[in-house]
Amino acid sequence: MASGAPTVLHLSLVVGGELRDAAGERLGRVDDLIVRLGDDDYPPVAGVVATVAGRQVFVAAEQIVQLAPGFVSLEADRLDLQHFRRRPQEVLLKKDVLDRQLINVAGARLVRANEIELARLEGWYRVVGVDVSLRGLVRRVIPRPLAARVEPGGFLDWASIEPFTGHVPTVRLRVPHPKLAKLHPAQVADLVEAASHNQGEEIMAAVASDPELEADVFEELEDSHQLEFVEDRSDEEIAELLGRMETDDAADLVLQLPEERREDVIGLLSSFQERRLRTLLGYDPATAGGLMSPEFVCVYADATREEALERVERSALPAESLAWIYGMNTHRRLRGGIALADLVRTAAEERLWNVLRPVQTVRADADLEEVARLMTDFDLTIVPVVDEEERILGIVTVDDVLELVLPEPWRRRFGLLGSD
Amino acid sequence: MELRALLPRLPRGRPRLRPRNPLAVKLIALLAFLGPGIVAANAGNDAGGIATYASVGARYGYDLLWMMVLITVSLVVVQEMAARMGAVTGKGLAELIREQYGPRWSLFSTFAVLAANLGICISEFVGIGAALGLAHVPPQASVPIAALLVWLLVVRGSYKLAERVFVAMTIPFFAYPVAAILAHPHWGSVGRAVVEPRIHVTGPYVVLFIATVGTTITPFMQLYLQSAVVERGLGPEDIPAERAEVATASLFANLVAGFIIIATGATLFVHGHHTVSSAADAAKALEPFAGRFAEALFAVGLLGASLLAAAILPVTAAYVIAETFGLEKGIARRPHEAPVFVTTLTVLLVVGAAVAMVPGVPVIKLLVLVQVVNGALLPVTLFFVWRLARNHELMGEHRNGRVFDAVAGLTVLATGALSLVLVGLTFAGRA
Repeated sequence: MASGAPTVLHLSLVVGGELRDAAGERLGRVDDLIVRLGDDDYPPVAGVVATVAGRQVFVAAEQIVQLAPGFVSLEADRLDLQHFRRRPQEVLLKKDVLDRQLINVAGARLVRANEIELARLEGWYRVVGVDVSLRGLVRRVIPRPLAARVEPGGFLDWASIEPFTGHVPTVRLRVPHPKLAKLHPAQVADLVEAASHNQGEEIMAAVASDPELEADVFEELEDSHQLEFVEDRSDEEIAELLGRMETDDAADLVLQLPEERREDVIGLLSSFQERRLRTLLGYDPATAGGLMSPEFVCVYADATREEALERVERSALPAESLAWIYGMNTHRRLRGGIALADLVRTAAEERLWNVLRPVQTVRADADLEEVARLMTDFDLTIVPVVDEEERILGIVTVDDVLELVLPEPWRRRFGLLGSD
Repeated sequence: MELRALLPRLPRGRPRLRPRNPLAVKLIALLAFLGPGIVAANAGNDAGGIATYASVGARYGYDLLWMMVLITVSLVVVQEMAARMGAVTGKGLAELIREQYGPRWSLFSTFAVLAANLGICISEFVGIGAALGLAHVPPQASVPIAALLVWLLVVRGSYKLAERVFVAMTIPFFAYPVAAILAHPHWGSVGRAVVEPRIHVTGPYVVLFIATVGTTITPFMQLYLQSAVVERGLGPEDIPAERAEVATASLFANLVAGFIIIATGATLFVHGHHTVSSAADAAKALEPFAGRFAEALFAVGLLGASLLAAAILPVTAAYVIAETFGLEKGIARRPHEAPVFVTTLTVLLVVGAAVAMVPGVPVIKLLVLVQVVNGALLPVTLFFVWRLARNHELMGEHRNGRVFDAVAGLTVLATGALSLVLVGLTFAGRA
């Protein structure tokens, strides 16, 4: 091969072509190409499945000299045809990958492989990408002589592709999907919701190797999908997952569980987590109490700026829960709050009670509509929830409210027929 | 344990923005039992269905009743396969055809389905026009409004709610069994007709025969059912429940169809009124039950069934296109986010409505003709449903059982043979 970009080979033109010996004589027909998935960014061709004299045979890569549109030629002196059988980590490109759904990690969406592109890279033929455009499909529908003239269309680099392999008997769950870890948990959740159940299981199994990521993905999943992926798990596994989730999302998940399992699962949590969860579960989920997260930073109002910031530094809470810091008096009554950014801008020795501003609060039994209206009217991203004595119980953040007030058709990115 | 006392009282499900009023809650609960099987089966008794069954009853009395028994068995078998495939694979039918048979076959089946769907879409709007025509609203006014209504409901509104309202509107068709009984048919002849095949070797008989098959087992019903099962996230563990739903729904829908034939047979046929040429004719069969309200009753039922199918059709068509061409399906339904979906929907609705607005269109004749085309294209879809449902690699332990598979295979063979006969008749100029 000369310098420059290597020539791209279309799988659909190689498969169906002739299997030739060194002299160029026809031996049989090429049925499929085998590639080995695994560590390589561009998986190498491991062999060819061909039909020779009515028998399906396997030709190992070592015997192959050239792959080309219309034929595959072999080395003369080592013609050793074996029966084909599947080996671990190997997939058949035509049977297992072509025409099926793949994950395009770069765009975080599902695509369908209309064509698979091969090229000779680092001395051997490898899968370099897929064509997801209409052009790739057209090439496969029209007669072969015309097909070679169709230019490649929308090319996706294999480096950003993860194929589903759950339907391949020998590969099942053995191939990790390391590229998925690059995605935002919300994107992984979107993929799971768009995929079929089995494909979703495959994605969830792939992210399960990182329990923190798995918990984050669960927080982002729609309720019905959450249940889909915990139903088959043991109580211990669910408890472990709950322990890693934000308390308010964990409470939502508990409510999805069948009633007879809830108590058993909650009982397996640490006593601290259990107490928080039970507090939240005591509230109607349609009220501020049910929406709130019991985790926030509230300090005595006579604390200094430094002391307050130290609490923020030590906190493991997500950033949105720390956007406001609250101050209370010695009776633990809420005296006001200050935005984290404003706190950072105040003088180092400033006492909090000098800078606290009055804040809008809601009671635990306020309904969703009231909370949403308050947040809209006062441009709030956080509302503290207080009891009769004005003691802060928790905070409702805008993301929890937005999720619920978004009209149903907007919320569902996927699916037309829809279910409740 | 304090929580044990507390938990059962916990509210469940997603919080609502504001509480529903109690009447709405009851109404929704009543309609909530609707599964995909019931929706699909009800959409099968659409404008074309009514027209075909009424024509059969008027022209041949009870002579085609024996066939309804066979068709019902076939329908249950076919619908069950589609539902089972959806539950096991989690994929739509068009998607499976593409994955298992490659793009050429997939395009072929897609065009067959789209051709059939376009025809049915036209027939639904003819049905809507005819239903409102009974209230003296000209189709030139009612059809465009209905098309716009369906477009808005599917693109902007709550599809789910629309579906339930439309299914509820088909309830008046249950008046047919009552009307059939009140018309005092000769039950002995009815019973004999059910078990004894009466075959007339004439062109019109064969054509009506094919139309009946085509309208009872319609490709969009399988496509819709499978996609809906997938969308609801049903899995292999739900197969028994879904099977029961599909079987009862198909049985009921075809019972209604059978009673339409009996009702028309006992009224129009016995009075020598052998052709049904308008909606008013078809409504006459309801007179023994509803008297002067027959037309109103018929109109509501026809409108509901036609709207239901008109709303389902474009959705299934968009699914098929997305799955075949490997486009991202679903997505919120606003035009700039789902161009394929909205384009498909718009084209189907505009063409359907435009044809239905042609003045002086021979309503019943057109409806039956569309069902004939449907019947001719049916074997294509059925063949793939059958092959896929018996595929060991795909379905594993849930593949077709032996007896079941034989019935399914026979259905495919029979519809294929009918299709060939139709082509033959068309060339011989007898159809």
